[in-house]
Amino acid sequence: MSTLRRRALGLAAIAGVAALVLTACGRDGGTPAPEDTDGDAEVVASPGITDDNLLFGISTPLTGATAGPGNCTADGAIAYFGTKNAEGGIEFGDGVTRTIEIRKYDDEYNPERSAANFQQMVADGVFAAGIGLGTPTNRAWRDAAIEEEVPQVLVMTGDPLFNDREESPWQLGLVPIYQQEGAAFGEVLAASTEDHKVAILFQNDDYGQGYVEGFKEAIEGAGNIEIVGELTYEPSAPSLEGQITELSATGADVLFHAVSVVPRAIENLQKAQSLGWFPSWFLPSNTASPGGVLTPGGAVAADGALVYPGIYAVSFSAAAASPPFQESEEGQAYFAAIEEYTENDGFSFPHCVWSWIAAQILEQAFMEMEEPTRESFMAALLAIDGFEAQFLLPGGSINTTTDGLPAVQDVVLQSFNGRGYANVESFGG
Amino acid sequence: MAALTRLLESSWTRVVIGVAIGVVLVLLPLSSPAFTNQTITRIAVFAVAVLGLNIIMGYAGQVMLGQIFFVGVGAYAAAITVRSDWGAALGFWGVVAAFVLAVLVPGVMGLLVALAAARLRGLAIAMVTIALPIVGVPVAKRLSDITGGSQGISARVFGAPEWTGLDNDQWQYYVVMTIAAVVFALAFFLVRGKYGRAFAIVKENEAVAASMGISPYRYKVLAFTIAAMFGGVAGFLYIAAIQFTSPETLSFGHSIELVIATIVGGAGSIVGSILGGIYYVLVPQLTNAVNPNATAVVQGVIVLVVLFVLPGGLASLPRAIRRLVRRKRGPDVAGPAATERRTPEGITPGAGDALPPRENEERQNR
Repeated sequence: MSTLRRRALGLAAIAGVAALVLTACGRDGGTPAPEDTDGDAEVVASPGITDDNLLFGISTPLTGATAGPGNCTADGAIAYFGTKNAEGGIEFGDGVTRTIEIRKYDDEYNPERSAANFQQMVADGVFAAGIGLGTPTNRAWRDAAIEEEVPQVLVMTGDPLFNDREESPWQLGLVPIYQQEGAAFGEVLAASTEDHKVAILFQNDDYGQGYVEGFKEAIEGAGNIEIVGELTYEPSAPSLEGQITELSATGADVLFHAVSVVPRAIENLQKAQSLGWFPSWFLPSNTASPGGVLTPGGAVAADGALVYPGIYAVSFSAAAASPPFQESEEGQAYFAAIEEYTENDGFSFPHCVWSWIAAQILEQAFMEMEEPTRESFMAALLAIDGFEAQFLLPGGSINTTTDGLPAVQDVVLQSFNGRGYANVESFGG
Repeated sequence: MAALTRLLESSWTRVVIGVAIGVVLVLLPLSSPAFTNQTITRIAVFAVAVLGLNIIMGYAGQVMLGQIFFVGVGAYAAAITVRSDWGAALGFWGVVAAFVLAVLVPGVMGLLVALAAARLRGLAIAMVTIALPIVGVPVAKRLSDITGGSQGISARVFGAPEWTGLDNDQWQYYVVMTIAAVVFALAFFLVRGKYGRAFAIVKENEAVAASMGISPYRYKVLAFTIAAMFGGVAGFLYIAAIQFTSPETLSFGHSIELVIATIVGGAGSIVGSILGGIYYVLVPQLTNAVNPNATAVVQGVIVLVVLFVLPGGLASLPRAIRRLVRRKRGPDVAGPAATERRTPEGITPGAGDALPPRENEERQNR
């Protein structure tokens, strides 16, 4: 036999063996086989849930520029369930007590990574996933989650799509959508007894447009409000001083400031007073921090007096940095759990508290779900009404039953008093 | 040892190994779990993006920091086409149109940018390429009517057709791997032919290239355009595998990650592009399994280790090992007993001469 033919035969043999080995392996479908938990043949448990454990996945930015809030979105829930697990677990609606395992995945605020994380979560056999931070990163695996029928719940994004029960049957948002915040301010302004001239400055994307949309809907038909100026900006703009100058010329007494970029918000607070323009401000919740925005923005004079007649923002949760929170029994339990189960400080970003609230909502759903299936979990999750979770603002409660709205529906308008925010009932009040 | 080396260097063995790998890759998705297929698919996506970067950086020697821009534009072109009414109406041909546009649009953009940028050298050309993703993100957000704004758009049309009997992950695997294989073959022949030699000279010394009748400008533009087109292909594959894109996709940080993947894999090496894709996809996946907070640290450590130990990237590992083995054999050679065992290859002085022809060629391109 010639060398050539022998080699050709060898080649064919290797290929054949490889083919046989591979096809003989068979394919197991990629997810762990569902287990029959209670011997009842009719109910087949979903992946990720056994008689003593449930696996929940969180894909969120743990490294990179958004790592601060990102880590918080995981750590609040890890601390909460860490405490619950130490107490023996949570009794589910089917009578079985299970511990909750949270597994976190780093997406670096990269949609490609979060989509990959979802594939990894499915391979790891999570029962459900969610709580993660970010609009594009959550959108990246929304369709895949629907296709695979994996719950993607209590996500931290103001994107309304996650609350559309028809479009997003396996999804639910946690935090208020942009429209809710804008509307909360609009309602209070419309109820004011005085006439107001409003100037609007908003970011030219879904963020700014969402705020303005909610605001305008709330003031529709209100005779006491006139919009005297409306300007936009691009998120990458190096300065908004031109817009502030132009708006100051309108003589408006209220500035609706739908700006998401912290440095711009600080500069604008400085610029307006240097122009001698002192309107009341509405600030979105992510650019309303007393320490991060208002103090550097010069909203408080050296003698402690407020420079502007009013600074309003919207909130739904208690601030972990505030003394009442830290002195309360619940607050101390929160900090003890954060300390024990995470490496977070628990107060630098509000997302830690939000994640803790999300964990409580999950617990409610777990306690109500009657079968160890994802369908049963979603049904239980979407039927929570009037649940008073820890650290919601007074009067606030969780309601997941309204189509188009996230789990947190009650937002409260607050005004800045020089140190922190306090609830207000009426404009100027 | 010598016999093994000889066996490995025989071209027949190489063909056999190549065919075996090919057969394994073809049959693997039928039996492996979905996650394995999805992971390999994603590796292929980024291997193609890194390959494009390798053409311009590794072979033509121009610093390019904006590759993700072309990936993103390709992804948008593909997603917008398959989602459009006319794209949907065309069915299969709509997907083909999406592919063509995903290659052409970034290609034309790359050409236009290159016509201006290739007049520059070194850091100046790097600065021009930095501008691409920095401009790209706000533009993608601004054109929200077609790009879906900052929320991004999803395009889930790459499900397996009924007649194949395949699962979605298997179908995506075959689509992506087939296209990636073709692109890699094209690149292989490109860098080994006339153009590859011209790129190498332009990289080494533009004045020498010009004196030999090779216009550095033209070849820089060419390499830039090819890189952009490969980026566009990667963008199409990105949509096939991830089925979603947003302005965040083309952010500058990811562009640097691609450059790092190129260096870790091995600049100026086809195999290095595949290794770069593996690094880009697998490292975060592995850190997720061990400690998800360590992604950035682990990536940083890998980059440093590779730069210190294997400046040529992971692709130079076999060569480094061979050099190490030869050095170890050094003292043996001095002894009388060892002399008998010496093989013809071992006697030949000079490290480079003992290398197989392909490796030699790669060295010259460096």
